[in-house]
Amino acid sequence: MDKLNWKELEQIPIPEGLEERLSAKIDEWERAEEQKKAKRLMFPKPMRYAAIAACIALVFGVGYYFLSQKDPVNLAEQDTYQDPVVAQREAEKALNLLAYNLNKGMGQLEKAKAISDRTETTLNKQLNILK
Amino acid sequence: MKTIAIRILLVVAMVVTSLQANAQVKAFEKYADMKNVSYVYISKYMFSMAGKNAAPSVPNVNMKSLTNKLTGIQLINSDEKAARTKLKNDVSSIIARDKYTLLMQVKEDGDKVDIYYHVDKRNSAVVMLVEEDDEVNVIVFSGTFTLDDVMKMTK
Repeated sequence: MDKLNWKELEQIPIPEGLEERLSAKIDEWERAEEQKKAKRLMFPKPMRYAAIAACIALVFGVGYYFLSQKDPVNLAEQDTYQDPVVAQREAEKALNLLAYNLNKGMGQLEKAKAISDRTETTLNKQLNILK
Repeated sequence: MKTIAIRILLVVAMVVTSLQANAQVKAFEKYADMKNVSYVYISKYMFSMAGKNAAPSVPNVNMKSLTNKLTGIQLINSDEKAARTKLKNDVSSIIARDKYTLLMQVKEDGDKVDIYYHVDKRNSAVVMLVEEDDEVNVIVFSGTFTLDDVMKMTK
């Protein structure tokens, strides 16, 4: 059956120029594949991720810039006093208050420590008497 | 790929950190234009303008360790009832949100003083809340100081 088929097939005349046309088509496919490969090499994966990251950063940067432009003068970040001497005086007051309150707290701690020390001494005395 | 991902994460972390660097100051900024609340901000620039030898001084207390590392002081005050309540509540929520630690609490003669601190490599802050009968004061010290620098202010 196979032999017969082969024989029949061999008898069919090959159209003129078919081999050349097939060869040209294969060459065309090869060239297309090579071009695709070249394109992939032009933008490797890490580059693509970096490009995405850069785009995101750009969007955020531009967004931040325009948002900050809306409020050009931030009153809270501006010095309230224009006179450094007045500012200095107010800063001194604030620091003074902090130091005062810290020392008040520490003073109470000292008092508590003194009471604790006295109690410990009395307790030790009583324990020695009992011995 | 991993290296690029790490680099992107580092950049994002740096941006977030730089935005947070001024967070202590920004948290209280809203009082700058709030009704019945007085707000004062003194920057490091104003300290330096006053001259080198003009560091604030309290007798027997070492102030320099803290003043040299301060970047700003915010003074917020109110004597109006509703504003006082709002100020106290806001301070409580900021303290909880930014994970401040209670350093000291002093209650004497009807006055209540709470001192909180938040120490960070980039930005530290001490918040002092002073509650009087008819007044509330909040003082925020921001800078790059440590807890030791603050405690040097005790005799």
